[in-house]
Amino acid sequence: MENLDAARLQMAFTLIFHIVFACIGMVMPFFMVVSHYKWLKTKDQTYLTLTKAWQKGVAIFFVTGAVSGTALSFELGLLWPEFMKHAGPIIGMPFSLEGAAFFVEAIALGFYLYGWNKLPEKFHWFTGVIIGLSGVASGILVVAANGWMNSPSGFDYIDGQFLNIDPVQAMLNPAWFTQALHMTLAAFTATGFAVAGIHAYQVFKGRRVKLHTKAFKIAITFGAIAAILQPISGDISAKDIAERQPVKLAAMEAHYNTEKGAPLYIGGIVNPETQEVKYKLAIPGMLSFLAFGDFDAEVKGLNDFPEDERPNVPIVHYAFQTMVGIGGILMLAGLVYFISLKRKKWFTNNKYWLLFVLLAPLGFIALEAGWIVTEVGRQPWIIHKIMRTKDAVTPMPGIVFSFYTYVVVYVTLSIAVTWLMIRQIKVLNAKNN
Amino acid sequence: MLYVVLFFLIFSLYLYVVLGGADYGAGIVELFSSEENQKITKKTIYRVMGPVWEANHIWIIILIVILWIAFPAYYNILVVNLHIPLTIILLGVTLRGVAFVFRHYDAVIDNSQKLYDAMFKVSSLITPIFLGMVFGGLISGEIRLTEDVSTLTFYEAFVRPWCNIFSILVGLFFAALCAFLSSVLLIGESESGKENIYVRKATIATIVVFVMGLITFIYGYANESTFVKGFIMDPYAIGAMVISGLILIPLWITIKRGRRVLSRLFAGLQVFLILLAAFVSHFPNIIITDTHSVSLLDNIAPDSVINVLGISLIIGGAVILPGLFHLLKSFKMIKILEQHNNPSV
Repeated sequence: MENLDAARLQMAFTLIFHIVFACIGMVMPFFMVVSHYKWLKTKDQTYLTLTKAWQKGVAIFFVTGAVSGTALSFELGLLWPEFMKHAGPIIGMPFSLEGAAFFVEAIALGFYLYGWNKLPEKFHWFTGVIIGLSGVASGILVVAANGWMNSPSGFDYIDGQFLNIDPVQAMLNPAWFTQALHMTLAAFTATGFAVAGIHAYQVFKGRRVKLHTKAFKIAITFGAIAAILQPISGDISAKDIAERQPVKLAAMEAHYNTEKGAPLYIGGIVNPETQEVKYKLAIPGMLSFLAFGDFDAEVKGLNDFPEDERPNVPIVHYAFQTMVGIGGILMLAGLVYFISLKRKKWFTNNKYWLLFVLLAPLGFIALEAGWIVTEVGRQPWIIHKIMRTKDAVTPMPGIVFSFYTYVVVYVTLSIAVTWLMIRQIKVLNAKNN
Repeated sequence: MLYVVLFFLIFSLYLYVVLGGADYGAGIVELFSSEENQKITKKTIYRVMGPVWEANHIWIIILIVILWIAFPAYYNILVVNLHIPLTIILLGVTLRGVAFVFRHYDAVIDNSQKLYDAMFKVSSLITPIFLGMVFGGLISGEIRLTEDVSTLTFYEAFVRPWCNIFSILVGLFFAALCAFLSSVLLIGESESGKENIYVRKATIATIVVFVMGLITFIYGYANESTFVKGFIMDPYAIGAMVISGLILIPLWITIKRGRRVLSRLFAGLQVFLILLAAFVSHFPNIIITDTHSVSLLDNIAPDSVINVLGISLIIGGAVILPGLFHLLKSFKMIKILEQHNNPSV
């Protein structure tokens, strides 16, 4: 394996894991504080039990998210030193603010976890809210830094030099808002459906139905609202990409030839050799409309870009289709949940619970697919149109060994965390009401 | 603004060494304890470190972020030539962090605790050794700078910079320092009657720190280390070291008298003086290579970046430091207030 490939795989691998841990660590505090709030209001013991169970999940995910995030902050430099040498000063601002937000989160978590019966009730609850808010702030700031890689701004690039750096403008790059919005909603959708699915499974199995139904309702409310809002954010993102990264849009849609009134392909198998997409469903004019708000607008095809500036089309296309497909399913599921609130009979039907069990992993699959679209779709650039990924990689050979080490450690960690969660639920179910 | 950034850089390094160091040291103390004392230590560590342990480790992120934003050229040497030990540190940080949480948050207490304990203790020792080795590597004079890395062998470019006797000695010295800091902290936090466990640990750690420091210096001097020579020639560095040595006297008096706040302050001051001595003798030439020294201030980020970073750090500091202080105080890590109320403590 070449060094560049190993470095890319290691980065992809650590990101894939970090994103899962970080999203759960970012969103679960909200479930926890809602449950905590209900306990304070109703003094229903079930909510207290639930809050304390979720708090353990928050602690475990916060830490795995934090350590994998620390690893990433180093890996940026360890794997891509040439990138960090130039980009570090430019996009340092979101990272330094993220450091501050993360610090606030860690402090708040310290208060929350250890504050039971020691701190005033309302203040204690409020520290939980701070955990959630600072977590979301961290997420937004990190995504803003990624947005800069897609839409580099806040500097002048003259003769290979990065001059006239404006860190504020770099942070508030054109992509930051659309990407941050899309990611935040995705995090809430994925975590909401995953957590809801776990509790739905317990209800499905008839274990502590009252507690798990309450837990399900809290988690799915967040997930469903986010899933229903997500298509709006997706549309904003698509228009943004069409404007700033037309080659990425073309790869997402496996759209090879420039044309007016371009059709939207749904599904299909891409053949990069013949530049054809087989077995697809084509909706005439729809891509032009989605990208530019005009059914007749011209959409640039991949062939309009130099061959060495195109990403891997099949990967980007399949990932995009997966993301959009799942997004649609989860949006419908969100509507199903809101309808079920009116038709309470559904709650007694086991098929209802089974549905949400099956949906549990989908949000995260979509979220990872979305990141594959963003990251693979930007290749071969590490900084869009400025620096190629191959020019940024570390000169140290043998990265493949570090890649294998990370694979072993992260896979083990994931198994361990899953195992711990199963134990938590078992103990929770065994406790008396 | 450059001075603000430098202040926060050194301040973060100092806090990481003191707070993160005490945190690592707790694992080292546990590792070198009898089985019965391990149990006591495990409980004490959880009570003392639990609320703050994550915050203790964020300082290294702040440190790294400041380096890459403001001092990119310096950071570049660090991540290229010291890639291997930094990767090991990351693995250590990861395993140690998850082990800490797993052993305290696993819903079932069974044999898996043994595994978590082992992971925690071993990574608590290995991580600070490699952290010390990284620092040692920067000043060992073994880093070879070249435009084209392919002219060097893998060993020359990526192994020798940190895998040399001087760096290893610095690594061991730092691990001992962590154990020292932690034992002094734990004396005041142990259940009554158990203080002696940690007083003994503190005694041993003090001796090890002193001996390791001495060996490192003698070795460096014998091998004509640029760092050691510069250190010995610098009156401020020597002065700081002498004061640091003299502080041992009040430190031990306060430990004997059970004045835990004062003893911690003395221990913290000692570490501060050691760092100060290392800094003043070579600042700003903090990387010493085979041919020359690389200044921290070489090719720093432009003013626009430094200014924004400085402002961010001031604002961040204003938000975080009171919060952190309040957290430490709430969980009785800082006994200053308590001491005001009760002068006999």
